Parts: sequence; C-alpha cells; structure tokens
Amino acid sequence: MAYITGYQYYENSGSSPEDKNWGSYQYISLEDIVNNFMLMYVGNDKLVNNVERYNVLFHAKRGIQELNYDALKETKVVELSVCDNATAVLPPDYINWVRISLYKDGVLMPLTENVNTNFSKSYLQDNNCRVLFDEDGDILVGSGILDGDRADGIQKTQYLGDGKMNGALGYQIEGKWIFDYSIGARYGLNTETANVNPTFKINKASGVISFSSSMADQIVVVEYVSDGMENGDDAKVSLNKMFEDYVYAYIKYAILNSKFGVQEYIVNRAKKDKSSLLRNAKIRLSNIHPGRLLMNMRGAQKWLK
Amino acid sequence: MINTVRNTVLAIANKHNFGYITPADFNLYAKQAQLDIFENYFYRYNEWLAKQNARVSGSQYADIVKNLEEAIDLFSVEESLYRNQSNVYNTPNETNNDNTYYLMNKALVYQSVLSEGTTDGTSGGNNSIVDSTQDFTSMGVSVGDYVAVQIEGGILFLTVIALVGTDQLTVNSTNITTSGNPYAIYSASTSLKEAERVSHSKITMLNVSNLTAPKTNTPAYTQSELTVSLYPSTINAVGQVRLQYIRKPKDPKWTYTTLEGGEPAFNQGASDYQDFELPASDESNLISKILQYAGISIREADIYQAASNKEIKEVQKQG
Repeated sequence: MAYITGYQYYENSGSSPEDKNWGSYQYISLEDIVNNFMLMYVGNDKLVNNVERYNVLFHAKRGIQELNYDALKETKVVELSVCDNATAVLPPDYINWVRISLYKDGVLMPLTENVNTNFSKSYLQDNNCRVLFDEDGDILVGSGILDGDRADGIQKTQYLGDGKMNGALGYQIEGKWIFDYSIGARYGLNTETANVNPTFKINKASGVISFSSSMADQIVVVEYVSDGMENGDDAKVSLNKMFEDYVYAYIKYAILNSKFGVQEYIVNRAKKDKSSLLRNAKIRLSNIHPGRLLMNMRGAQKWLK
Repeated sequence: MINTVRNTVLAIANKHNFGYITPADFNLYAKQAQLDIFENYFYRYNEWLAKQNARVSGSQYADIVKNLEEAIDLFSVEESLYRNQSNVYNTPNETNNDNTYYLMNKALVYQSVLSEGTTDGTSGGNNSIVDSTQDFTSMGVSVGDYVAVQIEGGILFLTVIALVGTDQLTVNSTNITTSGNPYAIYSASTSLKEAERVSHSKITMLNVSNLTAPKTNTPAYTQSELTVSLYPSTINAVGQVRLQYIRKPKDPKWTYTTLEGGEPAFNQGASDYQDFELPASDESNLISKILQYAGISIREADIYQAASNKEIKEVQKQG
C-alpha cells in the first residue's frame, strides 16, 4: 500500500489546507525518526540499550537543530513592512539571518550589515550625571539618541556609494534628464564600505532589525534560518531524508558518548560514522548536476580581451 | 496438570512412608512453587540475554530467550485503566480487577477523544450509551469507533454498532444497566501512542523541558503505589489509557469432594478450581519445588535433599 494516495497528496483528501502534503515526501517526521531509532538501534542485542525515549527525542531534536543552522539550506523567507522608526521585529522562529533585502520597484536589493553600532539604550541621569533609579532600585532606561538619530537620518554612515547615476549632475533637455558618466579613474575606493543601499544591524537583545533611516515604511525581505523546531509543535518537525541516516548516527554517537563504560573504540566508530554521513549528506544536498556544470563550462572557451 | 503434579508429589513422598500432604497444604506449597518458578523466568531471561549477546545461544529450537518470552507472555494482559481522578488512573489490582500486575510493560494512550460525557439514561436498553446533552453525529462518531464506559469496578471497552438518533449509540455489550457512567469515545482511526515510564526524580524537570516535555504523541507516566499519573495532564479521559502488563499467576487450587472414610477425590468441576498456569514443560520443576516445601514442612531432610538435587540437575541441564 502506498504511504499516501494521490488524492491525499494533491488535495489533502478534501480537507483544509489543500497543500498540506505537497512535497511532503522529501521529509521524514520527528516521530518516525524517534520510532525508527528505538526500533532499530535500541535493544538487548544492540550497542544502545536501556535508554529512555526522551533521551532519544532530545538528541534527535538537537541533531535537527544543528543541521538547520548550517547544513540543511532550509532558508525561511518572510516579507515585512519596516516601521516609521526604521525597525522591524524579528520573525518568531528567527535564529540567524542569511540575507536581508529591500524590495523596491520590482527589484530585490540586498542590504549590507552595518558593522557599527546604530542603536543604544540610554540610562536616565540627573544634572550631576548621576544615574536615576526607580522605587525598586532599578535603573531608569530611556531610548538612546543614537537610535533617534538613526531613524531621523542624522546619523552619519561609513557606507557610501556614488548613488544613483553615479552621483553625476544631470541636465534636462526637452523634458528628458541626461547624466554624464564620471570621467577619469577613481582610486582608493574602500570596497568593504562601498554600498549605496540602506544598511541594517540586528539588535539581538531587543529582537528587532534596526535599519538606516531611508528604510522607514519600505518593504524588507528577510531570509533567515530557524532551528527546525516549528515553535514546539513536534508534529510539524521534520527532516530532509538525505540526512536521515546522519541523524540516527548523531543520536547513536550522542548516547554512546555520554554513557558510562562504553569502550572508546565504539565511541570513535560512532563519531566517524556521524561525520562521514554528514559529509555524504552535504554532498548530496549540494545538487551538483551535470546539466548545471555544463551551463558553467560553456564559458570555458570564451575569448577574453 | 495440577492433579498429575499432586499424584506425583504424593507418590514420591509416600514411597517410603514419609508422610501425607493434605489438600490445603498442597495448595499452599503449589502456590509458592508456581510463584518461585514464575519469578525465576525473569532472572533466567536476563541470564539468557547475556548469553545470547555472548553468542552462546542458538536460534530456532535452541532459542531459549524466545521460549522464556513465550512463557512470560502467557501472563500478558492488555486492558483499559480505571480513571481515579483527572490524569490519575488506577493500576490493576484486587480491588477492581481479577488480575494483579506483576510488572507493567507498556502504557498506551489514545491521542485524541472524539466525545466524552456521562450517560444520562438507560432507555435504549443494556447495550446503549445515552447522553441527551451530546450530538454524536456532529461529533463525527461512526460505526466501528470505540467507547470506553467506566462502570462500578471497571472499564467496559466497547465498539459502536449503530447510531440511534443523535444522542444514542448501540454498543456490543449488555452490561450497561445504570446511568450516570462517565464515558469517552475514540475514533477507530486514532492511533495509540506509547507512554514512557519516568521516575519521580525526573518528571518535574521533564515537564518543564522545552525539547522533551511529554506531549500527546510522546506521553509519559509516573507510578505510585496503586496509581499511575499521566503526562501531559490533558490525558484524563475515561479509557484513554490502556496498559499491557504481566499479571501474577492465579493461585492454584486442587479441589476435591470428600468421600466417607476415604481419600479426597479430585473435583475439576468445582467453582474455585484453578489449575497451574505455567507451561507443561515446567511440570517437573513444580514437582521438585513442591517436594522441597513438603520436605521442609514435614522435616524430612531426605526428601528435601532429593528434590533439591533434582532441581540443581535440572537447572544445570537448562543452563
């Protein structure tokens, strides 16, 4: 019998949402991972025995979390409106950003991360510079000038570029604007800070993205990675099947490594198993297809002046 | 088997006029012997598992582990647990069940409940669930679904045979004679999830763990003297927890009719008759054990020694 019928796959058996099972075959559920591990790797005649299910569940989730951080390429994308104060709240399952872009005029413009601080808290102080406290003895905190200046566009930035039309002056002829190309070479450009687009910085403690002032009221597209825990809904946690064997190896290693009395060679074997399976899975997921290589190699014979 | 065991025991004991074992004494020794052998299954099972891992055990007919599993599984029972209060359920014991558990193997939990309530009528007869406050049709109840009804002293786990109107179900039982019984209905397609036994020292931390807190698809339970507590605490419906356990063997009883001036005659038809429940292959062990107890009781060292030697040889033979 098929795992899932065509009707279940395409139309969720008439239930809502219709797209529930689309593409589901790529993934194995957390429940299946734990179940399979308990069945196949735990027993009186296995390397792992007398282990509680919650131990296996913990290591399975930890393995999935680690994979989500760097190996899985399961990037989430969310579109947000930036507030008037040029900030946007991070998505609820945000762990780290991959790319943050401004969407304007039909074009996605990747933004540069501002390495300088563009926000701060401010301790309230009296005329004698003494920090003020509330009745519980906690410091009174206000919004910082840095934050205000950023939102108002007063804050200077090291991220500079020529801007539109290469920063050249234009002139109008018969209702049309004409711009010259800059003449002559430009030396000393700091490529690290050469950027004409707005910038951003992640304010981790406040859980917001602080943009430069020109981002106010714009649309931002945040590409980010989560930990795959689906906000604690275990029923939704799943893993790409390419990594299935790796997760079993990860759980086995994690349990053997923390168990008393397991011989070192067994722990090492499990460790090697885990590492090599991760490598295999990464290669598989890198999708090196002959067709794609061929496209790249087409330029190999190109003459360069 | 009990009569042949008794006849053999008496024959050996009387061979040299060592003494007579009364039916009452025999029943006491038989109970003790059966419990001894039953408990020894688990120790032998453990020993043979170690031997199996050391590759000194065979397969097929030489698979001793499998034989012991079969012997233990003769005492396996699965049944719904009686709900005590909220997420606390009674363990099987003499007060609400004939089967007293020896060890719990696994607890199974229904993930979701279709409908639950309390019966409020018996108008449909002894095979009906009536609850005028419910609309079973809109709840999605259909023929083949399961109904757990908690009656005095136990749980009836039944199957829906028909829906009569919207508030009445016909089930495959004729034991529902009263109203006011709590019940819960489970879809036939609802899967059972295994609840994991967790020690009291761990459950508090486990419940607040963000990665491993018990959920309906990975439930857990702790065990107390006469109850088990299920987690998450939303597991609290009637019949939501089923337990598979190994029960203790029933006390053997050699029943008889007293003949005037003669020997008691075996009466297998007595209402309190109970045969041994161990496999027939353990008959010789039973005889040896009973002889040991009888030997101790009548202070005949020779009988005790002979039975003891026989048992030692038996154990050596079995490994």
